[in-house]
Amino acid sequence: MNVIFQSTYYTLYQAANERCFYIDFGQKMVRMSLCQLLALRHKVMSIAIEDHFDSDLNAHGFEVLMLCNKEHLFVLNTLEILDLKKLVSNSFVSLGLSVGALETITS
Amino acid sequence: MKDIARQSMSIKVESMDLLNGQIKMEAHASATYLAMASWCEQNGFFTSAKFFFKQAEEEREHMMKIFNFLVDTGGNPISPEVTGINHDYSSIVDVFESTLEHEVKVTKSIHNIVKKSRELGDFATEKFLDWFVMEQIEEENTVRDILDMIEVTGTEGVGLQMIDNQVANWID
Ligand SMILES: [Fe+2]
Ligand SMILES: [Fe+2]
Repeated sequence: MNVIFQSTYYTLYQAANERCFYIDFGQKMVRMSLCQLLALRHKVMSIAIEDHFDSDLNAHGFEVLMLCNKEHLFVLNTLEILDLKKLVSNSFVSLGLSVGALETITS
Repeated sequence: MKDIARQSMSIKVESMDLLNGQIKMEAHASATYLAMASWCEQNGFFTSAKFFFKQAEEEREHMMKIFNFLVDTGGNPISPEVTGINHDYSSIVDVFESTLEHEVKVTKSIHNIVKKSRELGDFATEKFLDWFVMEQIEEENTVRDILDMIEVTGTEGVGLQMIDNQVANWID
C-alpha cells in the first residue's frame, strides 16, 4: 500500500492490487472505492464548520458521519472534522483529480 | 504506482462540484417553470401554461444530461434539493420577464463553468458544455421574441388574450 496523504489524525492509502483505498481513522481502518471516497468528500466538504462556533446551530461541536452506505459510523469533534477536510482536499490533489485551488462545494 | 483514481474518474472534482451546482440550477428552473404553468392555468393563460409545462420538461432533460455526464465520467452526481420556488406573479408580462431573467442567470452560470473548466485543463467538461452554450442562445432568443411580441401586441383590451394565443408559435 502507498501513502497518498497523511494529516494529523488520518492517513489515506492506495491499495493498487485491490484497486481501492484505505483510510486509517486511528481506531479503525476503512476500505473504500473511489466512489465511496467521493461520497466521503461530499459529506465532509458539506459540513458547515462555522456552525461549531454557534451554540444554537451546533450545541456540542460534534458531527455524526456515516460512511460506505451506513457500514461505518463516526462521531467527530471540530478538530477532527477540520483535519478530515484537510485530508480529503489534499488527497484529491495528490491523486491528480483536483488542482486544489478553487473550493466549490456550497451545500 | 498504478493510478486507480485517474482510471476511475475522467474529470476534475472541481468540475464535478460545479456541474452538481448546475444540476441544482436546472432542477430549480424546471420547478420554477412548473410554478409558472400553474399560475398561467389559474389565470386563464392556457396556451402559455402549455409553453411552461414543456419548458419544465426541457429543464429536467438538461438536468439529466449533466447527471448522466457525471455518471459516465465516474463522478458523484447529487440529486438536488429544490426549495424556494416563487408562485406569485403580478401579470403574464411579469412571468415572461422573470423567465428571461432566469435564463440569463443560467447562461452566466454555464459560461462560468466553461471558463473554470478551461482553467483546470478539463477538456472533457469544456467540450460537454458546448451543447449547453448553444442551447442557452436559443432559449434566451425564444423568450426575447415572446417579450417583443408582447410589446407589439400591447396589454390593453383583448391584448392579453391575443398574447396568450400567439405563444402557440413558440410551442413545438
Ligand atoms: Fe436549462
Ligand atoms: Fe432554460
